[in-house]
Amino acid sequence: MRQVLQARGIVMTFRNGDEETEVLRGVDVDLATGELVALVGASGSGKSTLLSILGLLLRPTAGEIQIAGERVDRLNEKARAAFRNRRLGFVFQFHHLLPDFTAMENVAFPAAAPAGGISPEMRRRALSLLDRVGLSDRADFPATRLSGGQKQRVAIARALMNKPDLIIADEPTGNLDLRSAGQVLDLMGEVNRQDGGTFLICTHDEHVAARCDRRIHLVDGKVQPDGERSDHLN
Amino acid sequence: MFALKVARRYLTSNPAQTALLVTGVALGVTVFIFITALIEGLAVRLTDEVTANSAHVTLEPPTRLAEILRGDEAVRTEGVALVSTFQRRQIRAWRSTAELITRQPGVSALSPQISGNAFLVKGEAVQPVSVTGLEPEGLDAITPITPNLVSGQGALGADGLLIGTQLAEDLGLTAGQPVLLRTDRGGERLLTVRGIYKTGLQSLDSRVAFLSLQTARPLFDLPEGVTNIEIKLDDPDRAREVADFLAGATGLRATPWQEKNLNLEDALEAQGRTGTLIQIFSLISIIIGVASALVLSAYRRRSEVGIMRAFGISGGFIVAVFMLQGLLIGLAGGLLGCASGYGLCTFLASLTDADGNPPLPIAPERGGYVAVLILTTLGAVLASAFPARSASRIDPLEAIQQ
Repeated sequence: MRQVLQARGIVMTFRNGDEETEVLRGVDVDLATGELVALVGASGSGKSTLLSILGLLLRPTAGEIQIAGERVDRLNEKARAAFRNRRLGFVFQFHHLLPDFTAMENVAFPAAAPAGGISPEMRRRALSLLDRVGLSDRADFPATRLSGGQKQRVAIARALMNKPDLIIADEPTGNLDLRSAGQVLDLMGEVNRQDGGTFLICTHDEHVAARCDRRIHLVDGKVQPDGERSDHLN
Repeated sequence: MFALKVARRYLTSNPAQTALLVTGVALGVTVFIFITALIEGLAVRLTDEVTANSAHVTLEPPTRLAEILRGDEAVRTEGVALVSTFQRRQIRAWRSTAELITRQPGVSALSPQISGNAFLVKGEAVQPVSVTGLEPEGLDAITPITPNLVSGQGALGADGLLIGTQLAEDLGLTAGQPVLLRTDRGGERLLTVRGIYKTGLQSLDSRVAFLSLQTARPLFDLPEGVTNIEIKLDDPDRAREVADFLAGATGLRATPWQEKNLNLEDALEAQGRTGTLIQIFSLISIIIGVASALVLSAYRRRSEVGIMRAFGISGGFIVAVFMLQGLLIGLAGGLLGCASGYGLCTFLASLTDADGNPPLPIAPERGGYVAVLILTTLGAVLASAFPARSASRIDPLEAIQQ
């Protein structure tokens, strides 16, 4: 199976004056196309930092990252932004929808902004994604008029807009009630199974982790080998 | 353009705040237009008052200066060729000069004159006067006298004289009465006051007497020539250019009206500088208003901008969104301000005081509308540059984690 993500020897050290904190200590991560992987670990284990590094939102102190066959850790800011736009999808704990735009416009935004407008093709794809997340009847609703679960489903549709190689989700159900969380997980599972979408989901939630193909367990800034895994989930 | 759509959406998402911002800009523009129209109007009124009653260009014989005669080095004699005070300075070839002037484009009227000093004597009352001898048909060519007559008539005739109300009052004269004119050349003649005028200009109404060119000739000992030719132009602002040309073409001394009214020019320049300062402050207040509103907007939308940056929207797009907001605010405020400024100036220009004149010398058509619209729009775009730049530099990670 084709490798989507290959990260080697990721080190992240934060400096505060003379004090240095090593959050990640030589992390290796491999993700194959179509995998649904949970990134788990206790608070402070470094999983959010790792997710930000793999999502090209943060530069590691050391290490190499290859996504979809392209070496990305050496890219400049402009190229990183362009890469994020074309090849990565993001789903955050808070939906972060643009409140002044409709559901359809929010979904189309990542494609429309670089292109200079929403083309008919973009509109069709955005509507089909909304249909996919069960919100085709809410396409013209302003984002502010959607429920929390609906907003998160729109955020997932938005993450899929540019057909990304990898979707990075940071506690995607962390802010939802049980029912909405279940819907969001079903949706991600469906996209993964039917479209072969590759997901890396950072979560504290055992229920979320249990629905993934496998787990990457971080303990004190290092990946715990499967055999030595202990339950650090809250 | 998608950035324009986003900018418009941001502005319309909070209509009250946007309306307040646009109104603020419009008020600044209104002040700018009001000040510009007032200063321009005042300048026009003052210039009109000066140029309406006087020549725009005056042609006179060149000034003759006393010349120092250098002697031979060996002999070392020196002397001074004195200027004759007896020989009257005059323009002898005034008819050909007048023809040349008439052919110049933009010349609306000319008046060959004999000007000199004299005394008017009425009984024991004696008043110094400045006498202007001119062709009777050109009486109103330079200064509108006939329309300002308060008594008598404007026909000068062979022995007629026109004087101002102040002079008439000082000498106790009324139209139809005789008065003795004694010139500085020794000429003396009993003339009849044909009419009394009131121009409102103190210098004219108390000091100047008009008579015909033919009557003036013997009185000032000038059987052929004239002392000066006064010229009126369609556009008084061209006076310097026309004067320069005529001086070169005729060899005469040509003086534009501005050089005879240097105080007015200084006053207008000082007034213009004051106006420019007020205009600059208006623009600065507009820029500060727009910048502060957009800084707040950028701060309020940090997380939105952060998420845009997270999914790879370029910094250039963010800059465009905020600068386009500045552009739209500047354009809307500028247009609204132009409309309200024009309305205000037109209203003020339509008011009249007891004399039937507008209380403010405002010129609504000279409000500098295009300039203020361009300056305001550019200023608003400039004002948005700082918030736009800071928004484009928002760290997506920081904004998302907030």
